[in-house]
Amino acid sequence: MPESKRPLLSPNQYTLFFIICLSFICALILSLLASALKEPQQNAMELDRNKQLLIAAKILSPYGYFLVEDEGETFKPAKFSDQGYLVPSEDKIIPSGTEIMQVFRRRVSPFLVNAKGEETTFQKAGINEQAYIADYKKSGYYTQREKLIYKIFGNVPEGKTPAVQGYAIPLNGMGLWDAIYGYIAFKPDGNTVIGTSWYDQKETPGLGANIAEPLWQSQFLGKQLFQESADGKTDFKSAPLGIVVIKGRVSEVLGNSPKSHNSVDGMAGATLTGNGVTNAFRDCLAPYRPFLIKIHRSYKTGEGK
Amino acid sequence: MSSSKQSVLVFFTSQVWTNNQVLIAILGICSALAVTNRLSVAITMGISVSFVTAFSSFFVSLLRKYTPDNVRMITQLAIISVFVIVIDQFLRAFFFDISKVLSVFVGLIITNCIVMGRTEGMAKNVAPIPAFLDGLGAGTGYAIVLIIIGFFRELFGFGQLFGYQVIPLEWYASAENPEGYENFVLMVSPPAAFFLIGGLIYVFRKLQKTA
Repeated sequence: MPESKRPLLSPNQYTLFFIICLSFICALILSLLASALKEPQQNAMELDRNKQLLIAAKILSPYGYFLVEDEGETFKPAKFSDQGYLVPSEDKIIPSGTEIMQVFRRRVSPFLVNAKGEETTFQKAGINEQAYIADYKKSGYYTQREKLIYKIFGNVPEGKTPAVQGYAIPLNGMGLWDAIYGYIAFKPDGNTVIGTSWYDQKETPGLGANIAEPLWQSQFLGKQLFQESADGKTDFKSAPLGIVVIKGRVSEVLGNSPKSHNSVDGMAGATLTGNGVTNAFRDCLAPYRPFLIKIHRSYKTGEGK
Repeated sequence: MSSSKQSVLVFFTSQVWTNNQVLIAILGICSALAVTNRLSVAITMGISVSFVTAFSSFFVSLLRKYTPDNVRMITQLAIISVFVIVIDQFLRAFFFDISKVLSVFVGLIITNCIVMGRTEGMAKNVAPIPAFLDGLGAGTGYAIVLIIIGFFRELFGFGQLFGYQVIPLEWYASAENPEGYENFVLMVSPPAAFFLIGGLIYVFRKLQKTA
């Protein structure tokens, strides 16, 4: 009690002593907590990023369960099997974080492409993968000389070499309020979109934040990255590259015109977020154009055989 | 023994019902407007605030005889901040999806009028256990209001509950069916909560008068 301590400390000294002790104890608790929780926090962030990539690649449903593609190009719920690959399942089982990470490591592998569209690995380029991914998240990987891209492998049992099922490119952009981050996944022809996902966005809930909603993202399947010209052909060297978020509905505004294949419905009340998304697609995909052309050519020759 | 136990519990029940902080004291409105457009978010926020109010009340009360009167507000703030940061770090580590949605609002629990109001208005005058129950009650009362508002906003704003579609997608307006149902866009923006809280206050007062 302050009274009993009066001989030792004056009231002011006691106050000072009390505050210093309190601050010290609080600081101690917080620093212990921060160091104890640092690892789970980083894991949670990494898991979230990886989940978003799997959602864009349609390996994971936005509702949390795994997906497999069947012959009809439709996606069915799946579960994680002991053999390390996904098998179709009737129930929509929500997998654990470790299962998601396991599937991510098996199905997705990051690599780099340069301005000429040549592939290289982190090892060959002498770049530390972890540091690179952390350092350029904000400024965008597309601004770098060696640009980040992910290869997505098919769903095969352990021991077999999987075919490349698609690619995914990380996206950065500016929404209405703040930076937005996402992924776009496309097939090995370098043109047909598999899906997209936007995360880490702070857009208006119910309006711009719909870019993170499964319903809005679902319309990207089958869209084309390169705009078709009027004769129905695509000139990969000069065609505008990117998906355009239009005002209104594609079916009403563009009908079945060539532009409709690389446009998606806008969100009422969120035109500026839509513009931000359009710009992000255009800016982030442009540096990858040589690479997209290259994989498209090799895909076509592969088809010719 | 039983009568004293009951009297301690009154601290809890009075905060949940008769002195509900949101509906009677009209405190904590700011966050009630901001984080109630999803039910899962509203519940997390309610639990977080209950945790912070309960434990900071407990520790403020524990230190009440040692706290010099001229720095009591700073002491309360320091204790509240510690618990808010604990909650924030915890959510980021284990409930990442929800912490993404709550973002700054967890940090802003520090300035939530309810927490400061309970520590200053009650905890510094009573023993730790009643103070703890009082804080827990205040948080629970707040959580209940948030859940009611969140229920209506998510149902009418998104047609979903806990992120699952409740209103069938076939009912929605489309090109073939332009007369169909459409989400009530006002519900997803904060003003909707303003009207809902107003309506809730009216209903609540009516109920209390008849009771």
